[in-house]
Amino acid sequence: MQAKDRNKFNPTGLIIVAIIATFSINPILGGVIIILIILFLKKNPKLLSSYFTKHLLPAAESQDDEDLSEDSFNTQKEFNSNDQSAMRAKISSFLFTKTRLEKRKKYLHIALNSTLEEAEEIISQLPASDRILIEVGTPLIKIYGTEAISRIKEMTPPGTYIVADNKCADLAAREVEMMANAGANASTCLGVAPIETINSFIEECQKFNIDSMIDMMNVESALEVLKKLKKLPNVVMLHRGVDESEFSKEKQIPYYQIKQIKGNYNVLVAVAGGDTSREVQQAIFNDADIVVVWKNFYKSSAQTAQLAESFLREIK
Amino acid sequence: MISLLPASEKIIIEAGTPLIKKYGTRGITSLSNWWSEKIQKQGYIVADLKCMDRGSREVWAAAEAGASSATCLGLAPIETINEFIGECEKVGIDSMVDMMNIEFPFEILQKLKKLPTVVVLHRGADENERNREKQLQHDQIHRIKGTYGKVLISVAGGETTRDVVRTFFNDSDIAVIWRSFYEAPENTANLAKDFLKLVK
Repeated sequence: MQAKDRNKFNPTGLIIVAIIATFSINPILGGVIIILIILFLKKNPKLLSSYFTKHLLPAAESQDDEDLSEDSFNTQKEFNSNDQSAMRAKISSFLFTKTRLEKRKKYLHIALNSTLEEAEEIISQLPASDRILIEVGTPLIKIYGTEAISRIKEMTPPGTYIVADNKCADLAAREVEMMANAGANASTCLGVAPIETINSFIEECQKFNIDSMIDMMNVESALEVLKKLKKLPNVVMLHRGVDESEFSKEKQIPYYQIKQIKGNYNVLVAVAGGDTSREVQQAIFNDADIVVVWKNFYKSSAQTAQLAESFLREIK
Repeated sequence: MISLLPASEKIIIEAGTPLIKKYGTRGITSLSNWWSEKIQKQGYIVADLKCMDRGSREVWAAAEAGASSATCLGLAPIETINEFIGECEKVGIDSMVDMMNIEFPFEILQKLKKLPTVVVLHRGADENERNREKQLQHDQIHRIKGTYGKVLISVAGGETTRDVVRTFFNDSDIAVIWRSFYEAPENTANLAKDFLKLVK
């Protein structure tokens, strides 16, 4: 891989030397050559992108050597065959280093579902922690559109991990593009959606350099779905729906599936649908990486900050 | 695009899922305003929410925005669909249940407390593109209509005129199309007229 890298680097060095040389001979000629090179690169964006990947790679590796090395290799492969809009997303993510999830940490995932005003209050009360993920809930997205994502991104401190819960069921490519451009770090897709949709969703997420989450709500066996996929998502979310929890209490989150999934696949597992601290403990005890809560954070209250802190303590 | 469509009460405008996710309820409201202006009376707007959870909240938001009906995924938990249909009745809009990726729409209908107004048989766009051999279940239309007299059937996912003819031949009440309109906006008027003729 290194030899290949050197091969790619050489022309760039040569070009720079050539530019300096022509400038010393005749400044006008140098200008003309620069314009020609810019035109050439515009016509062949692939060359430009391979140049960027080299800078992206070490940056990503130094951030998190173990988890991302495989990831960034994929990134490089994707890079050469990308359309321009995906490339733009990548370059911007390289400039403003995008937060990614780490394997060894446990995360508290707070879903915001009421209104943007409430969301702002809640966010202002949350303790600063890199273990808190903020989710823009489905109702927010459906009511405010992608504006909700960019607004919440503005409200949160820079570097906060934003999940767009778009619950994609069809036309994955378009939805992922919208969410990524609005500034989300991850996007969700329904596990009950057609397999073709989930496959294209995961591919598209890799292209736009965001994490893919598959929401296994109302899926009996998450393993069966994972088996059928071409590529693995970053996160699998075991989810008991709100209406389900309210109207039939006896439905349980299948905690035993967490171990099954983690044993067989290299993915993070999130658990959603339990809101009491007991359920949070249970999820973490069963080795979940991410715990999703929302009910306690639906309306902001005096206890919001305490709640978040106590949850964070529990999932240490 | 709406300005290009012929004014006809037989046309139902749907605010698609990507549109809703992009513009939120504003998208529904503007569509409803444009279309109502065009046909000089309250137009019929479908909000394709693809509701999966929290049935009541989403229905309420869509109705507020001026939608005449909303959709819910048949894949959603039964509790959600029940809640969805109940809420739709409460706010006075039609309920549509989208049977995408469901093998036997029957089983879902059997489990429901109340029937939805419309059942949408749907082949997803991603399915269409990547997997040609999946077919719409036209045979299901008769069966559903035979058993549940009152529900209307809508068929989505076929785009060619042939698909549409077949849809109506099989006694469906509504045919949903989008791709031809998405890909060739300039032919909108002709296309719509052609399809309307078929639907007669």
